[in-house]
Amino acid sequence: MKARHIAALVIIAAVVVSVALYMPHEQEKTRLKVIYAGSLIVPFEQIEKQFESQHPGVDVQMEGHGSIQVIRQVTDIHKEVDVLAVADDSLIPDMMYPDYSDWTVRFATNQMVIAYNNKSKYANEINESNWYEILARQDVKFGFSNPMLDSCGYRTLMVTQLAELYYESQTIFVDLIVYNFDPQISVTKNGDTYIVLVPEIFEPRAEKVVIRGGSVQLIALLDYGGIDYAFEYKSVAQQHGLMFLELPAQIDLSSPEYEDVYKKVIVRLGFQRFASVDTERVGMPIFYGITIPKNAPHPELAVEFVKFVLSEEGQRALRDLKQPTIPPVTDNFDKTPDELRPVVIKDNKGISRKEER
Amino acid sequence: MKGDSKVPRLLHILVIVVVCIGIIGAVAYTHPFVGITEERINWNLTLIGEGEKVVTFDEIRALSSYEGYGGFFTTVGMVNGPFKCKGVPVEELCNLVGGINASNTLWVSAPDGYLMVLTYDQVKGNFVTYDPTTLKEVPHGDLKMILMYEQDGASLSEDDGRPLRLAIVGSDKLLTEGHYWVKWVDKIEVRT
Repeated sequence: MKARHIAALVIIAAVVVSVALYMPHEQEKTRLKVIYAGSLIVPFEQIEKQFESQHPGVDVQMEGHGSIQVIRQVTDIHKEVDVLAVADDSLIPDMMYPDYSDWTVRFATNQMVIAYNNKSKYANEINESNWYEILARQDVKFGFSNPMLDSCGYRTLMVTQLAELYYESQTIFVDLIVYNFDPQISVTKNGDTYIVLVPEIFEPRAEKVVIRGGSVQLIALLDYGGIDYAFEYKSVAQQHGLMFLELPAQIDLSSPEYEDVYKKVIVRLGFQRFASVDTERVGMPIFYGITIPKNAPHPELAVEFVKFVLSEEGQRALRDLKQPTIPPVTDNFDKTPDELRPVVIKDNKGISRKEER
Repeated sequence: MKGDSKVPRLLHILVIVVVCIGIIGAVAYTHPFVGITEERINWNLTLIGEGEKVVTFDEIRALSSYEGYGGFFTTVGMVNGPFKCKGVPVEELCNLVGGINASNTLWVSAPDGYLMVLTYDQVKGNFVTYDPTTLKEVPHGDLKMILMYEQDGASLSEDDGRPLRLAIVGSDKLLTEGHYWVKWVDKIEVRT
């Protein structure tokens, strides 16, 4: 009897220990996968915290990429993603409709600025009417991200070309861009439209202009004096505590009012980095878009998340972290999930670049 | 007396069994089987230059290899590595189809539709390098662009670009920009 008791106790203990070892330490949380554009990193970290605090059973897993890469995670790499948010809303219809999504909500905007700090040469002199002269000065270094890799990069080329029209000068693009690259960047005119042709290899001729893959590197360069000025999104400049110069609305890609002006510049990239995306980028106002892929693993929770982003609380969180918002607009009201319809405005114009061309 | 002698023996056996199960369980728990290290990899790399040549994964592994340290960071500044990377120098692969010179560019692509174009200088290791902790630009010694098939002593995982990934490596543990680290490479073309 004694032996049997001991044996039974040992077995029970072993079972209890084994079960304890393999049991999850806490109740398994639902993982909501959200992929977002790099320029949203700061506000979306806050959105994550707030959403999780209201949904204790949810672990929001955030991942940041360039906007095109965000979409490719679903369309080309076939990852299961619950929510996508990108810095160019037209990419969603162009790359995802109809197989992976059929609605997009515009929820935020941005504008191009010239970021600098108090160590930048001529920082106390630069203004809206002389910035291009200051950037062209021999002792000034400026940077922007590679247009092949980053939307802020090709938007910089748009801004400098639009500046020629706005300031009625034919030398701004040439002085700042064309002469500083080898091989040279060329511009052709087709009616009212200017087509900027970016070569396959995008390399500055000298140290005056610095090209890096993205904002992260440019901000670091500004910090330790590697450059004096950088073309950036206003939200990024503000989130990193940089000084910045606002440009006229006619050239900063912020205003739907000037959409027809922005469209006058097209940037044609030197190679097709992604087979699923063509090489033309048309000047347009900057709008951020959000959607839920059709194969989202947690569609109901994804709707909850998007609803939170579009809610007054979510929009306030974005604005508090310097991400300008707009009243949410959907391009396809009938396909937008029912739960989101009360918080979005109908826009039947569509937001695809392809449709507009 | 006979019955009493069985008690400790049975107890011993039970204790030994339980301890063995515990050890096996603990080992399995802490060292999950990752397998596939010896799995045969069917992957072809197409090289285009002065002519075209298709090399298998095994043929690539049979070429002289280079080992060094390298890592990268993503668009949002997420640091990956540095890792110990092993692979074939890209220049060696170019030599299989006539070599590469300063008038050429290198087009590296993958079946997921990703393409990166690199200069001759980059193939020779001319990149901006970054400190893994601060992401500040730092100078570097000799760098080599390799087609990596081993990362930290193991073959690449699917997420890391299995079986072949472009990598920029050297003797220092530095980072380069992530978009150069093309995953799942299946085509390298030298263009004029």
